[in-house]
Amino acid sequence: MITLKVNGTSYQVSSDPSTPLLWVLRDELGLTGTKYGCGVEICAACTVWIDGSPEKSCDENVGSCAGKSITTIEGLSPLAGGATHPVQLAWIESQVPQCGYCQSGMIMAVAALLKGNKKPTDAQIDSALSNICACGTYPRVRAAIHKMIGV
Amino acid sequence: MNKIVSTDLHAQDISTIQSSAQPAERIAVGRRGFLSAGAAIGGGLMISLVLGKARPAMAAAPTTSTVNAFIVIGTDNAITMITPGGEMGQGINAGLAQVMAEELPVDWTTIKTQQAPFGAQFGRGATHSQVTGGSNSMRGWFPLMLQAGATAREMLLAAARQTYPSAPQPLKAVAGAVQDANGAKLATYGQLAAVASTIALPAAAPILSGPGSYKLIGTSMARPDVKLKVNGSAVFGIDVRLPGMVYAAVRHCPTLGGTVKSVPAAPSGSQVVNLGNAVAVTGANTWQANSRAKSLAVTWNLPTASALTLADSAGLASAAQTLMTSATPAIAEQIGDVTAGMAAATKKLNVTYSVPYLAHACMEVLNCTVSIKKDASGTVTGCEVWAPTQAPDWVAATASKLTGLPLAQVIVNAMFMGGGLGRKIEQDYVTQAIKVGLAVNKPVKLTWFREEDFGRDWFRPSALSRVQVGLDAGGAITAWSNRIVSPSLTRSHGGVPKNGLDGISIGHATALPYANANRLVEYIEQPSAIQIGYWRSVGESISAFVVESVIDECALAAGSDPYQYRRTLLAGNTAALGVLDAAATLAGWGTALPAGQARGIAFSPGFGSLCAIVAQLALTATGTVKVVRISAAVDCGTAVNPGQVVGQMEGAILHGMNAALWQQATFAKGVPAVRNFGSYPMGRMADCPKIDVTIVSQGSTLGGIGEVGVPGVAPALANAYATLTGTRKRSLPLGIVVAPKGES
Ligand code: FES
Ligand code: FES
Repeated sequence: MITLKVNGTSYQVSSDPSTPLLWVLRDELGLTGTKYGCGVEICAACTVWIDGSPEKSCDENVGSCAGKSITTIEGLSPLAGGATHPVQLAWIESQVPQCGYCQSGMIMAVAALLKGNKKPTDAQIDSALSNICACGTYPRVRAAIHKMIGV
Repeated sequence: MNKIVSTDLHAQDISTIQSSAQPAERIAVGRRGFLSAGAAIGGGLMISLVLGKARPAMAAAPTTSTVNAFIVIGTDNAITMITPGGEMGQGINAGLAQVMAEELPVDWTTIKTQQAPFGAQFGRGATHSQVTGGSNSMRGWFPLMLQAGATAREMLLAAARQTYPSAPQPLKAVAGAVQDANGAKLATYGQLAAVASTIALPAAAPILSGPGSYKLIGTSMARPDVKLKVNGSAVFGIDVRLPGMVYAAVRHCPTLGGTVKSVPAAPSGSQVVNLGNAVAVTGANTWQANSRAKSLAVTWNLPTASALTLADSAGLASAAQTLMTSATPAIAEQIGDVTAGMAAATKKLNVTYSVPYLAHACMEVLNCTVSIKKDASGTVTGCEVWAPTQAPDWVAATASKLTGLPLAQVIVNAMFMGGGLGRKIEQDYVTQAIKVGLAVNKPVKLTWFREEDFGRDWFRPSALSRVQVGLDAGGAITAWSNRIVSPSLTRSHGGVPKNGLDGISIGHATALPYANANRLVEYIEQPSAIQIGYWRSVGESISAFVVESVIDECALAAGSDPYQYRRTLLAGNTAALGVLDAAATLAGWGTALPAGQARGIAFSPGFGSLCAIVAQLALTATGTVKVVRISAAVDCGTAVNPGQVVGQMEGAILHGMNAALWQQATFAKGVPAVRNFGSYPMGRMADCPKIDVTIVSQGSTLGGIGEVGVPGVAPALANAYATLTGTRKRSLPLGIVVAPKGES
């Protein structure tokens, strides 16, 4: 049994320790907001926070996550299931998502960026966000961030 | 018991039916109602039910009434609009709801949307099609949505007249409530819905408010689904979870056309299902299922070496060249006399263009969840499917065929799609999930890992296109002939090209808007073992690259400015000029650029809309090229939600840019080379140019918006590159811009 702390709740997980965290979140814990896109650390759809920093959950063995604090999109807003985090509010205001599939990972990456850098430059935004959005929401992602940081 | 009624808009009559509707978080619109309705088509009676859903019930939840098949109103005034288009990012759920809400005045912020399941009452046209494709959703459903909203409004008004007989008339529906003639509120829709659902439909079609008084149509309303897409609560196909469900993963034969020869015993605790060209393996989670599938020692029957030349990029490329010069083409368009036109020319062009196979690369991989019920004797008694699909009606047909159940007993839930792009119209993944469901006797979710999703795509076809043009001394076109060699989408889907032609493969190579009295467009079908399919703008993405590049070549040959050259050839076509001029103005065409920069333009009508694109490129210090800016003008008739129209254009431009710059799917003797994003580059934030979009409103007919922005991007980029460097790129991908980091 592996003890996982996800969004403030402790879970006992019986999965093989080599299982990527992504699939434990989705299939064992039912936290399907975190998405699978490539499985090989390219697309960032699976981005969650591990001990506060953005990580690609398709490449984290669940065994190595024991005891660490994991935050998923479902836990981003202080209100469980809510959408009140400033990035979420900005995303609604700017109507960023299209299909929305990449947006959990995108939002987790943006929220992590803004935690550590209140006013990122465009170059910093570009390098922090490696997320693939096949729908092409990048102009709105940038516009929403700009609005948030007053650029 | 709760009385639930629904009417179909084709019906003249109404009936009621008792149902044990449960309060539900997500309203499920059952298929059983359609069963009786189906029999009633022509008889004038159509019913559908609102059924309870096996989901956590909310405490003291409101009951709901279906006012008609598209509108469900709760006693708490919650309004759910059942929208028939498949939501894959284009905002069609919101868009169609917006059209309904135009006629049924509501407080938009209280609206929820839900995708319609399979059911003929949701379809459009004589065939009741539920297919979302060809940029047809808004165009196809717009009139029906106006009718749905207006009918619901009339029924609510009638309910209010019945309930408040002495209220000053006429009554009025305003923002979710009915008022009397003096503006005093009588009741909310929620209070009236149960009575309204018993009201007979007005015999005459309700009067529509008309474009002059639209309040919502033409306004950038917020999409209700966005709220679900920022907190992880939107349920995509891949997120479906059923009690007792097992997970299955698929592994196809590594070689296209190969089949399963032998399957070893299933790993302990799992089941293996032979799917013909693939195996599916179950597991306790998706990862375990996929790991087992990957390591299973399956042996395969491979196609013969000669068959594999039809699934080999080099072999196909040389075969296309041979076909171009030796095959007898079918004539797609012949006007005037090309030979005479060519003889009259003072300048001639003879150029050949090529485009590769392309994958879809939807962010959500293919998946499908199935629950099949059998009786004690093993006979199938029920089948419910949850699929990210562009065609719930086709999924139902697939399920009916495989299970032997009548269509009426198949339930298909159309889930949010994490992109569709034409891939999620196909039935292969659905077929597999149903076969696995039939074999494992448990609810099952089947998922393709990314490598399978790339490897067994239905690829955008390749094409070789040879264009011969004659120009007179003034640069006018005296003759235009275009011979296209490309596989047939019709044949790939089991059909036979009629008269040797395939309209989808040809795209917009015919009926060009440019002045030219002598034209010949020919098509040669290329045999190919690559499975080809629909792709955001399919044939148009091919034909526009060729046509708009060649028009640019003509302009340069004539010594004309490419924008002005097009203007001359489009003389008299006011709508086309309106769009072309708008794009040129937006891009600052003709204004000075910094050294080392250039613009390229393309005009690309399609899907009932008009579009023009201007790309601006810059040479970088290292000698590579950067896309600085893309400006686009689009006329889609009525922009129902301008914000979403702009979003669709932005997305289409980036989709087109990825393909134009970097992407191609290649095959080595039947083995697909692309298996993940590492070899199929997708632009990121850092690769995204400045994008500007202007919507041109000039009274045109309602057109499509999902695809029209794609085709013009490649030629606009190629044209800018030719101006920038003097080098004409005649094959895709252009390969002029460094691929996103780590990809090739
Ligand atoms: S799924 Fe983890 S990076 Fe793509
Ligand atoms: S919103 Fe669809 S992939 Fe990003």
